[in-house]
Amino acid sequence: MSLYSRMAAQNIRKNARFFLPRIGTEAGLVTCFYIMLTLALDDRISRVKGGNYIPTFMWMGTAILALLSVVLMLYINRFLMKQRKREFGVYNVLGMEKRHVGRVLFFENTFSSLLSVAGGLLVGMIFYKLCSLLICRLLQTGIVAGFYYVSPTTVLPTAAFFLLVDALVFLINRVGIALMKPVELLQGGSVGEKEPKVRWILLLLGVMMLGAGYFIALTTKSPLEALEFFFLSVMLIIIGTYFLFVSGSIFVLKALKRNEKFYYRPQNMPAVAGLLYRMKQNAVGLASIAILSTGVLVMISTTITLYAGMEGVLDKNYPHELYFEAGISNDENQTTFFPPDELESMLRSAAEKNGVTIKTVEQNEYLYAAYLLKDNRLYVSGETDDYDLTDVGNYFFITQEAYRRLSGENIDLRGNQIAVCSIYNPSGIKELTGTLVIHGEEYEIRQNLYHYPISASYLASSFACYGVVVSDEEALNGIYLKQKEANGQYASEMTKRIAVTFADREKAAAAGDSLDADLRSALRKKAGDDAVISYSLDTRWKAKEAMLGMFGTLLFLGVLLGTVCLFATALIIYFKQISEGYEDRSRFQIMEKIGMSRQEVMRTIRRQVLLVFFLPLAVAGLHMAVVFPMLTGILRVLMLFSVKLFVFCSLGTFAVFALVYTLIYLGTSRTYYRIVH
Amino acid sequence: MTILEVKDLKKTYTTRLGGNQVQALKGVTFSAEEGEYVAIMGESGSGKTTLLNILAALDKPTGGSVTLDGKHLSEVKDAALASFRRENLGFVFQEFNLLDTFSLKDNILLPLVLSGKSVSEMKTRLLPVAESLGIGDILNKYPYEVSGGQKQRAAAARALITHPKIILADEPTGALDSQSASDLLRVFEKINREGQTILMVTHSTDAASHAGRVLFIRDGVVFHQIYKGNCSNEQFYQKISDTLTMLKKGGEVK
Repeated sequence: MSLYSRMAAQNIRKNARFFLPRIGTEAGLVTCFYIMLTLALDDRISRVKGGNYIPTFMWMGTAILALLSVVLMLYINRFLMKQRKREFGVYNVLGMEKRHVGRVLFFENTFSSLLSVAGGLLVGMIFYKLCSLLICRLLQTGIVAGFYYVSPTTVLPTAAFFLLVDALVFLINRVGIALMKPVELLQGGSVGEKEPKVRWILLLLGVMMLGAGYFIALTTKSPLEALEFFFLSVMLIIIGTYFLFVSGSIFVLKALKRNEKFYYRPQNMPAVAGLLYRMKQNAVGLASIAILSTGVLVMISTTITLYAGMEGVLDKNYPHELYFEAGISNDENQTTFFPPDELESMLRSAAEKNGVTIKTVEQNEYLYAAYLLKDNRLYVSGETDDYDLTDVGNYFFITQEAYRRLSGENIDLRGNQIAVCSIYNPSGIKELTGTLVIHGEEYEIRQNLYHYPISASYLASSFACYGVVVSDEEALNGIYLKQKEANGQYASEMTKRIAVTFADREKAAAAGDSLDADLRSALRKKAGDDAVISYSLDTRWKAKEAMLGMFGTLLFLGVLLGTVCLFATALIIYFKQISEGYEDRSRFQIMEKIGMSRQEVMRTIRRQVLLVFFLPLAVAGLHMAVVFPMLTGILRVLMLFSVKLFVFCSLGTFAVFALVYTLIYLGTSRTYYRIVH
Repeated sequence: MTILEVKDLKKTYTTRLGGNQVQALKGVTFSAEEGEYVAIMGESGSGKTTLLNILAALDKPTGGSVTLDGKHLSEVKDAALASFRRENLGFVFQEFNLLDTFSLKDNILLPLVLSGKSVSEMKTRLLPVAESLGIGDILNKYPYEVSGGQKQRAAAARALITHPKIILADEPTGALDSQSASDLLRVFEKINREGQTILMVTHSTDAASHAGRVLFIRDGVVFHQIYKGNCSNEQFYQKISDTLTMLKKGGEVK
């Protein structure tokens, strides 16, 4: 072992207070990175039921994590180097040249880097099984074994990425040392800083941006707009938060200082002056904590809500368990649908073969087409340019006879009378009254319905959805023909289908794939070998699988990234406490010397520390509350309507978060007190 | 009237390992009259810092007593010690000990703030003190913006503003250049003439020559003392210098 590597090893041991968090953080990041990357690449996982979303989401997560890792490692390094400046200065004065210091740095970096990468990978390999198990549980796949996965395809890229990040960190430090003068190194952090000035432009910009972000978040009513403006609003709030922390904090502190009656109190003066002095370096850190905390809250609460609210979404979308329609397409891409009786007999025999008992079968025929709705008039696409997205809607037309059979309710419609149901509208359910003009013909809206028996996977979109009940076959056919004329080659055909419920939902779901295959072969037999069959089997269980896959993966991602963000928050707090502890130590010693009792010193410290650490938490809570309506809108687009559930999940997340945050605070402030005394 | 009375003060340190005992003070006795300006001289390790720490109630003696204005320091309860120090003693340190987060004004006001004085009282007390120390026009500056001499005058103002019974100065000129040092010493002389009792620990003969009396400490006891009487500063400087030389020789003889 050379002198330099021995020195490096010794430095790591002696500066454990700084190196341990660095190594621990990097190892944690390596672990998460490895797990996510492996989940993205492990095709055993993506092949489980509903696992098809995993690779995409995990790649996304890996990218976010990669970015977060670089930022965090640079952040930690900055703290580390700042604390150690004096040490390097002493080396320099003792006759070590900069290149020797560089060599020590190199070894330190290499040791800690290797330690964290190796440790992180090891933990990652162990925890991969746990994570794959967890994700299988979330996806309700029934597989409980979990997977081991150790392969160079993920180990090597993970190791390479983090070694690269460490190399970057080393490079930055090496250049920093090269540019530094020894005297500056010796002085280290003790150079006096000017009292910060209020940066009015930043303050103004911050107020405006935060105000605008809040305004958008609070005034956006329609879920569609929420989806559209969410990103803008979030960006404004984030930038506004940074600006306000940087300038607003100083503005407030200066105002407090100007208020002499408040300022010249023993409990206020040291805290206000201390905060003011320190805000310059701290504002960005505090804003980061607030933003990260908000991110954790949003991610975890929404993903939990989606996952927990899944059954409700399904019930809304699938009043029946299975919708079956099929037809034969000709060369012009026009479909002739099988009559419902034929569909039903095919299904009945398939069900019998698979031992599944059918409870109810409803046959129906409907027209499904898209229109623009403006001033109680429906337009086909291309007919008008004067519309916005909220005008677009999907329309289901059925006869009152079909409606009666499917829902058991009687409506009395004659001639040009219709009943309308606003089934779903992302901008809030709107009732149509008066008349509705369809293809130039005026229909009288006789009543509004609050229940519509046809709803299917078409529904899960960001567009409004209306059900229209017409008086009889003739009326339906009339609309169909005019629609066909107006839409030309894009026209919709009449859809004939059956809606089925089963006696045993679970059993039917279990036989799903075989049911599907039997229906396909029955269709093939009927249509002949050359026919082009269009076929749709829309089932509740497939939809559930897809939702479980999507929301389960999202939940996993949300929790994992949320944990990483929480950890990052903890880390920023820890380093703040340490670096401030060293700065404050001499200050409090002076205060004790000139006649401040130890209790008073402790009280002042506690006041200052409390304010600094709970301000970001309060800001995060405020942000979360403000974007809450918007998030509700976005969840509405995803068919989740239960605001109560979301409120519950958000409050729960906030409570847990606040608890963990407090624990982090208590843990790190102990380090701070130890340093100060 | 005697304001400070030190009787047979002893301080024994026990080293952390092994339990060796080091006697820093072996029995120091002296007293100071109200309005006196006393300098305590001694070489490094003579026990003068220990003495000052005990006088400042930062440390407790192992024997003997300190009486300030008729009150035994040992009778002051721990909880009241901070406010006792704040109200009765003023400190000037070698390293200034100004808080870099406070402007000079706030540094000076800090003891009054800690005592819970009203803002108007702070203001009426601040200006005369600052003016007499010649820092009236830089009160809003921060410690790192002013020179060492200005810092030390601000520190002196902080000590004076509470109207302490006695000012304890620990090598106040130690970190100053000669010009700033003599400025500060003139300030001390001035405030002493105005009736302020000062006790200064120093090993600078120049600093000591401004005092009215010099105590020499060696090996934990007051070895000798000389009065200025009607001497000028220069004559007194010579006397102190001679005494130091004599003491040194005597030390070698012993």
